[in-house]
Amino acid sequence: MKITVDMEACLLHGQCVIAAPEIFSFDDDGGLVWVAAPDEGLRDDAEAAADACPEQAIVIA
Amino acid sequence: MSHTVLNAEAMPYLDVSDPAFSIRSEAVADARDASWCARTPYGLAVLRYDDVQKLLRHPKLRQGSYRWPSHNGVTGLFARWWENMLLSQEGDTHARLRRMANPAFSPKLIGALQPKFTELANMLIDRFADRGECDFIAEFTEPYATGVICDLLGLPFEKWRELADIAADMGLALGVTFKQDLTTIDAATRRIFDYAEELVALRRAEPSDDFIGMLVRANAETDQLSDQELLDMIVLAIFGGIDTTRNQLGLAMATFVEHPDQWALLGEQPELARAAVEEVMRVRPTITWVTREATETFTYNDTEIPQGTTLHLFSQSAGSDPSVFPEPGFDIAAARKPHFGFGGGAHHCLGHFIARGDMTEALKLLSQRLKNPRFNGEVKWLPDSGNTGAITLPIAFDAA
Ligand code: HEM
Ligand code: SF4
Repeated sequence: MKITVDMEACLLHGQCVIAAPEIFSFDDDGGLVWVAAPDEGLRDDAEAAADACPEQAIVIA
Repeated sequence: MSHTVLNAEAMPYLDVSDPAFSIRSEAVADARDASWCARTPYGLAVLRYDDVQKLLRHPKLRQGSYRWPSHNGVTGLFARWWENMLLSQEGDTHARLRRMANPAFSPKLIGALQPKFTELANMLIDRFADRGECDFIAEFTEPYATGVICDLLGLPFEKWRELADIAADMGLALGVTFKQDLTTIDAATRRIFDYAEELVALRRAEPSDDFIGMLVRANAETDQLSDQELLDMIVLAIFGGIDTTRNQLGLAMATFVEHPDQWALLGEQPELARAAVEEVMRVRPTITWVTREATETFTYNDTEIPQGTTLHLFSQSAGSDPSVFPEPGFDIAAARKPHFGFGGGAHHCLGHFIARGDMTEALKLLSQRLKNPRFNGEVKWLPDSGNTGAITLPIAFDAA
């Protein structure tokens, strides 16, 4: 599974960090970081994050 | 305010407690030109787009209205709910509750309600279209906003009046007469919880994949959403979904009446309806500010903000900030930066897929069926600050 975030659309709400903390987090400067190729076992979490993103900026492939 | 803000003397002052105060006034625009921030009787007002955006997700700020009941010396049913529901929570508890609620608010689930929105909007328009006039609030936005919540909860439309009345009584809690109205407010809270309990009992007996069904499932299949938290969430959806949508759609119509060319354009190009919702919420958000409170002392823009300071983030003045919107006029075809009408950060509106979906559908159908809408009598308004909107909005139009 591959995760990309459209950083043009992302507004750093952090809903993905709430929905899937094992994949998404904020770094010390408040920037969004994420595991680009997480384990398949995290698919449900990844999809929950993509659904929860208010800007619909997360793409899972 | 007992908290002294360093540099405060240099900041403009806005008396937001004055009933005549308007968040769209020249005074607010001048204050925004002069400073990123103004003093008010209730704390600070943040005026510019970039600062509202940053402070909405600032780690030293929490949602600021959680103490509203205790502030008013109020305890009881409403106070218990208010202090425990999602919006009043932070950190791990907020994250847990939000994770549990997310599936019930997912775009997939909400997308399935779209045909119901269409049916509801057409049914309401049918009732007054031939007359060529209506009170847009009483005859459209109120039954529509409440009817959408009925659809969400799986209740028949006929329940809308009762639900709207309960929500209105509960809404008195947000006003200045909170304490005087407490008996009415708590009675309404009791009734709304009775509703929620009934709905939960139904879904427990007959599981389903709808809104309540998803929440009941989170309660049954995890140990992360207690029975009380389940009911509190349902009550929040009812409380948070009705007045907001009613007011926002009323503001949409009032804005379009003032911009007939834009209404005509929408009528010709209904695919602009989604963008129209965003543009209305930029220039006329019903929630004109959201409230935050400093959890510890921090420095921002060279200003020391003491712990406990209340900050009002002005979505209204951010949405017309000339540094981001050099041509701020109402234009549904313009490409715009995002507005803050749904807040932002951890507390970003959970119901926004519903609200965006139902308002888009409503504007699409209304612009097809009501041509040349115009004011048709006196419009009565809520104050132009806090949560605003029209109370009555008589319009006349040419039925298409
Ligand atoms: C046009 C309609 C609506 C507007 C303008 C609106 C606006 C907002 C805003 C500004 C907030 C953030 C408040 C803050 O940060 O202090 C919010 C939060 C929330 N809204 Fe909405 N809302 C609307 C419709 C709805 C609907 C239809 C529902 C549910 C069915 C809903 C449920 C919620 C919930 C549960 C929260 C709390 C989220 C949290 O604290 O994590 N809203 N809304
Ligand atoms: S939820 Fe969406 S907008 Fe918010 S930080 Fe994550 S990707 Fe960005």
